[in-house]
Amino acid sequence: MKRTYWFGVLLSLSILVFSMGSAMADGARLGIVVPLTGPYGTYAEEMKRGCEIAAAEINATGGVLGKPVEIITRDSELNAGIALRRFKEMVQEDGIKTIGGTLSGGISTVVNEWACKNKALYMTFCHTSFPLGKENCGYGFTTGIIPYMSGVAVAKYSFENLGKTWMNISADYRWGHDELAAWLVTSDKMGGKFLGNIYTPLGTRDFSAYIPQIMAKKPDILVLSLFGTDLTSAIKQFAEMGLSKRLKIVCPKTAMAIAKECGAAYDENVYGAVTWYWTVQDYYPKARKFVNAYMKLYKTPPDADADSGYVATMALFEAMRKAGTVDDVDKLIETLEGQVWQYNKGPEGFRPCDHARTSSVFVVQGKGAKAEGWDVFKVISEVPYWQTLESCENNAKDYPYGQVKLPGK
Amino acid sequence: MFDLSWEIVAMQMIFGLALGCVYVLMAGGLSIIFGLLDVVNFAHGTFYMLGAYAIFVAVSLCGNFWLGLVSAVVIVALVGGVIEWLLLKPLYKRDPLYPLLLTFGVSICIPDIIKICFGLIGKVVPYPSGLMGAYMWGPVMIPKYRLFIIVLTLVVLISLWLFLNKSNLGMIIRASTRDSLMTQVLGINVSRIWTIGFMIGIGLAALAGAVAAPMVASIPDMGVEMTIECFVVVVIGGLGSLGGAIIGGLLIGQVISFVALFAPSWSNVAIFMVMAIILIIRPRGLFGEEGRL
Amino acid sequence: MEKKVDYSLRVEMTKMEKLTDIKREKGKVGFVDKSVWITLLILLVLPFLISKPLATEILIYGLFALAFNQLLGHTGVLSFGHAAYFGVGAYAGGMALRYFHVSVWTSLVVAMVVTALVAACIGVLAIKKKGVYFAMISLAFAQMFYFMALSPFRKWTGGEDGLKFIPILKLEFPFHVDLTSALPLYYFTYFVVGLAIIALWRILDSPFGRVLKAIRENEVRTQASGFNVTRAKFLSLVISGSFSGLAGALFTVYLGYGSLMTLFWMTSGSILMMTLLGGMHTFIGPVVGVGVFMYLQNTISVYTDRWQLFVGALFVALVLFFPDGLVGTIKMKYRERKSRA
Repeated sequence: MKRTYWFGVLLSLSILVFSMGSAMADGARLGIVVPLTGPYGTYAEEMKRGCEIAAAEINATGGVLGKPVEIITRDSELNAGIALRRFKEMVQEDGIKTIGGTLSGGISTVVNEWACKNKALYMTFCHTSFPLGKENCGYGFTTGIIPYMSGVAVAKYSFENLGKTWMNISADYRWGHDELAAWLVTSDKMGGKFLGNIYTPLGTRDFSAYIPQIMAKKPDILVLSLFGTDLTSAIKQFAEMGLSKRLKIVCPKTAMAIAKECGAAYDENVYGAVTWYWTVQDYYPKARKFVNAYMKLYKTPPDADADSGYVATMALFEAMRKAGTVDDVDKLIETLEGQVWQYNKGPEGFRPCDHARTSSVFVVQGKGAKAEGWDVFKVISEVPYWQTLESCENNAKDYPYGQVKLPGK
Repeated sequence: MFDLSWEIVAMQMIFGLALGCVYVLMAGGLSIIFGLLDVVNFAHGTFYMLGAYAIFVAVSLCGNFWLGLVSAVVIVALVGGVIEWLLLKPLYKRDPLYPLLLTFGVSICIPDIIKICFGLIGKVVPYPSGLMGAYMWGPVMIPKYRLFIIVLTLVVLISLWLFLNKSNLGMIIRASTRDSLMTQVLGINVSRIWTIGFMIGIGLAALAGAVAAPMVASIPDMGVEMTIECFVVVVIGGLGSLGGAIIGGLLIGQVISFVALFAPSWSNVAIFMVMAIILIIRPRGLFGEEGRL
Repeated sequence: MEKKVDYSLRVEMTKMEKLTDIKREKGKVGFVDKSVWITLLILLVLPFLISKPLATEILIYGLFALAFNQLLGHTGVLSFGHAAYFGVGAYAGGMALRYFHVSVWTSLVVAMVVTALVAACIGVLAIKKKGVYFAMISLAFAQMFYFMALSPFRKWTGGEDGLKFIPILKLEFPFHVDLTSALPLYYFTYFVVGLAIIALWRILDSPFGRVLKAIRENEVRTQASGFNVTRAKFLSLVISGSFSGLAGALFTVYLGYGSLMTLFWMTSGSILMMTLLGGMHTFIGPVVGVGVFMYLQNTISVYTDRWQLFVGALFVALVLFFPDGLVGTIKMKYRERKSRA
């Protein structure tokens, strides 16, 4: 009896304490929702940190319209329903008009649709397809890139430098299909020879089953349109078999964390594409400020997801300053469309027709056992956006990559 | 469709065998726990993950893979024993649902603890030198590490059989599995036997995790999918039957390997379809005991 | 002591009343138990106490938990794959809205019918299996639905992106309600869920409900008493599945989108946890469990990324010390108090 009583008291007290909640500042707010729990926690954490560093920088230079800005972060648990609930709470209950986040491209398109229906300005930080076709409804902006952009960038590099025959392994969901489409189109244009494709379910851990087929076909290039733990497992297992000695592995999307998790397996035969990497501060000195601020707080350098979060936050708050408003969404959209900035790499902006970031893509090479600390990539080239981003008309029709007939589909 | 040469089939079989061995270790552990304690251990995958982290820590400290492997298994088995003693024991006299729920709660807590201690990025466990690369048997490539897994599983299974059938403790364990009340009446401290049995089961899961660690992404959430998959294996083999768990594990390893060859996008659905079919045709699983719930 | 029951069950009745505490004469107010009225009253004002989206989700998952508990707590059958019904209902409702442009009411009905059919199929195949085997088969089916929606049938379900492009939802009958706005959406859901709760209570209070409880207590004996246990369990599964499907369809209306996670096994796991938290041997316990659990989860995750640690630890503590759940423990203490007084 006593036990129950005290438990009940404790429970009620904790509920009361929690529900006192945080007093919302009356300055500009960006409400972000990212999957802090779940398999992509690392990348979500980076996005959050990138946003917070940007907010700190804005506040150090006077805030927006005289008041400090705030980043409000919630966990989406990699679940679209929960992400929507968090956004509903922020937009409908707390009156926040500018929202951001999600790491999953799929969830970002769902949030984009919702944002359009509810007239909120949505900044996404991840690879997303909402600038394409009917997904584009005008309230979303992306500081990630459209998936095909990195596929095209790295495919062009590969066909020029690594070989002509290629095979692909795609995670069987939209992003994996988009990368395959990008490679198929580029292969046609550049005289590549497509030898075969394997779709693996998202979350595959064991890629050894696919090794015999790959070895039988002997491609020059093996494209891994995978990410996260799928990619790490694949690279580790292929390295175990010595596959990376016989062919080149190319990843349309890679990350510092993945190279670190693979260790020596991620060697000079593994290439990949990233939107940003911290050693480019040697070419773009402005990036040093961001890298140093991040390293001071978190002891590790920031990666591409942190850059996406940072760029989105900076661009948004600067647009608020320029437009002189914090919650007039239409005016903010107008301002953002015309804005050009330069933060951690070259000058970029949001293209007015589809709000895609005019972002370059870096082709990077692994360092394997020679990697020291967080210096795991060698940056080989930077591919500017005009070589990868399709025209406004093409994006509106989702052409050519959306029209490609994928093998087996 | 490519031509199905025997080399490819042979290699798929070998990969399927190695994969199956990991499942055998997992399912074997789960089966022992269920057979002895009537507890459905929903945290089995969590101990698999702990095995991977334990070998990471051990290898970082002493540099030797083999020493790391043994210490990983021992440490995680001890952790399992502590959990059983403190948390599970009070629940045995209640509805069998409760131990299951407790293990479910444990499976949610522990990954977060690991995330706090080790961070979110996965850990790298290097292959032992000497097991990298592969043997070539004609045109067929046999990876050395996979062969090691197969041999290790065989050794473990034989040791387990010898232990259960030839030693006194093994006899007591078999008796407790058959009829724990009677065993207790005969004067044996069944409670301690249960703890030992649980530790053996957990040790097998940890072993599976430790050997898998160099091959897969060793992250805190790596046990989640594994729990469900090894349940499927145990149910196919028959709850309570160690032999069934072994056959089930090998079967599933081959199923996954060959489905990956012919229809990769169905490889996730395949094992559940197999389970559903077997359960409908033969409800107690392949080797399950009649009436054993 | 007039009871409108089958007299052959009278002996079972008295025994069961002691165990389950649904005291019809003493507790009933109008046509349902007073605990149900209290809950409905609290739910009426809930959107003013906590955030509206969270309150709406509590309604939906509360219904799901009640439907799930009809099978677990009241019939004694454990299902690990109830997400199958929730998810199929969500997709059926969503597809009806998107591809056939039906009204919201119709989508709810479609979802219930489709889910009932699915539950019937699974029941035909599996309901005779015992205990853990039934639980595992139900998990297998749920996983199959999940992976089928993810990959082979992605053209219709949207795959891992989920079911998008559902039109902006509103009610026209009996009067216009804008369902994109938070408060009207809540009260629409409240209306449907309230009716469903009353319906479920009535089902459990009926002679059929008594048979289910008898099955839970002692299946063999109930069979020996002459009841068709298999048919009763089958019907219980269909009812449970159907109301779970209704919850799923309501979830799609609430989100305006059909989420793949409705089929995910963790959904089955959470509903089990929440039901237990509230107390599986009471009627309204699961709803309380859902409310407390979701509120805690929503709030704790604001303060720390490692909220699963707290939730898991809480759950472990619950299983160890409060096996009857919140409502069950409260009811027991209340009864103890009364018998002492």
